Amino acid sequence: MLKELKASRIKIITILSCLLLAFFILVQIICVVTHTTLPALMTSLASREIQFAIKLSLTTAAISTILCIAISIPAAYALARYEFFGKSLINTLIDAPLALPPLVAGVGLLILFSTTSFGKTLAETGLVFVFTPLGIIIAQFFVNVPFMFRILRGTFQGINPRYEHVAETLGCTEAQAFWRVTLPMSKNGLMAGSVITWSKGIGEFGAALMLAGATTMKTETLPIAVYLNMSCGELDLAIAAATILIIISLVSLFVFERFGGFGRVF
Amino acid sequence: MIRIENISKDLGEFFLRDITLDINEGEYFVILGPTGAGKTILLETIAGIYHPDSGRILLSDNDITEVPPRERNIGMVYQDYTLFPFLTVEENIGFGLRSRKIGKGEIKRKVDELANLLDISHLSHRYPVTLSGGEQQKVAIARAIAIEPPILLLDEPLSALDSRTRDYLREELKRVKEEFGITMVHVTHDQTEALVLADRIAVMMQGRILQVGTPYEIFNKPLNKDLADFVGVENILSGVVRTNEDGVAEIEIEADVGRNIFAVSEYHAGDVVKVFLRPEEIILSGHKGDSTARNVIKGRINELQDVGPLTRVQMDTGRSERSELVVLITKRSRESLGLQIGDEVYATFKATSVHVVRG
Repeated sequence: MLKELKASRIKIITILSCLLLAFFILVQIICVVTHTTLPALMTSLASREIQFAIKLSLTTAAISTILCIAISIPAAYALARYEFFGKSLINTLIDAPLALPPLVAGVGLLILFSTTSFGKTLAETGLVFVFTPLGIIIAQFFVNVPFMFRILRGTFQGINPRYEHVAETLGCTEAQAFWRVTLPMSKNGLMAGSVITWSKGIGEFGAALMLAGATTMKTETLPIAVYLNMSCGELDLAIAAATILIIISLVSLFVFERFGGFGRVF
Repeated sequence: MIRIENISKDLGEFFLRDITLDINEGEYFVILGPTGAGKTILLETIAGIYHPDSGRILLSDNDITEVPPRERNIGMVYQDYTLFPFLTVEENIGFGLRSRKIGKGEIKRKVDELANLLDISHLSHRYPVTLSGGEQQKVAIARAIAIEPPILLLDEPLSALDSRTRDYLREELKRVKEEFGITMVHVTHDQTEALVLADRIAVMMQGRILQVGTPYEIFNKPLNKDLADFVGVENILSGVVRTNEDGVAEIEIEADVGRNIFAVSEYHAGDVVKVFLRPEEIILSGHKGDSTARNVIKGRINELQDVGPLTRVQMDTGRSERSELVVLITKRSRESLGLQIGDEVYATFKATSVHVVRG
């Protein structure tokens, strides 16, 4: 009897902790979305500034996600399939931005593109990253590429190379075997990776702030819009931007879980 | 058909050491060996997935060592089926044909024909994950033979299946060979499978081919003690030939088995030999009888163990520990003889059942 009581006490305490945590998160979200009235929210959403921020966020995040996919597919494949010199060091390095505060990553990028001859040469050819929307893309790319990379590395490691072997005996070149077999088998990983990279790109603040700055109607993404409008007391606009960010995050989370992404990142 | 010349390959944990093999056209060739012998790598090297460190591979007298797998036209079937999970059964079977730029109608006709032959037409539109192991393996076989390969490589194709499906698929494989005249190279660790399917067997251990021969030669005339042990020759005795009259050697056994053993052999008086005797070649009886067999050894039963439909009898034939004989008899004859531990019995076997090698 005593034992049962003890067990149930633990059960009550642990479940209460769960509820408390969930409640805390829910309250936070509700606070944001109920701070203004619906008509005020609609007006703010229709404002030129917020419209600009939505468009800029969606495009920069889409482009940086495509860049992440383009580099992560071959890089993750190499690390999943081949043995080569320096492999474990490279693995650690590619994961490093995960542990780095985005703000610090942004400082690094700013120094790279503004003070080194590499950055200056790029700027001369027209690729200006400092205080431009291009900078936002690069900042998102740098901070989020480890997510895409880790998911794809896990995905490729989970596919037995024998599938490619069989495809080769059936007439495929190595590249065709990858394209016709490995890539379709990686569909879930690619989806999960794209969704998390894109949604994190939309929310990217620290690194983008450092490299691209916070200029109204120029480098103003949704998080920057929240920041700028909070700073000058335009609460309605800030909340409109924040509401959209919440919606995008929740939808992405749902889609991401659906494709089983968490098992692959960590 | 296939000639493998001095192939070596080192992949760390697994390796091939100086392998030479000749596989004839239309033959069912089984490579038999324990797990980790390097059997799969040998198949994958024939398929072209691995490039050998040295040696060469000839297919119908053409050197194909440098030819990539896609141009070898050799079919491959793995133990774990490796069907493409995102394609239906039909699309899996047609995969190799689509690589070959064949017309859609022609592919459809070919796929239907193969599905019919292997009795999987009703599964055409299903995805592999919904199929049983046996069904998946039939699809894998159909996919491999769709490209009309002269050679089909099978890597433990029946090992993941339950015993009924295994028996059934064994017959299907024989039928595929007959129907298409494909040369089959089948890798397994299962001796029954090798015995039932093979025209010839190669025994492989630790990256080397140790013996090639007919099933009878492999199981009854192993070349050395390790091979004998592997193929289930449970009675391995050391001895010295005393006399040889008209090709029948009288061998004095080192361990005391009660009397000398007669064997058909070319070894001469004084030769030190190993004597191999399969446990199922021995007949047990309760009295001495008047059999024509040359060897009759008296002993006492010290262990009886049921193995499937058979009973494994261990009998003590002398004074030392090494003087034991192992005999396999059916459960039925065990019952009719009424065998009990401690009973005195006579083990009878022919001189032709005894295989002698230099030892």
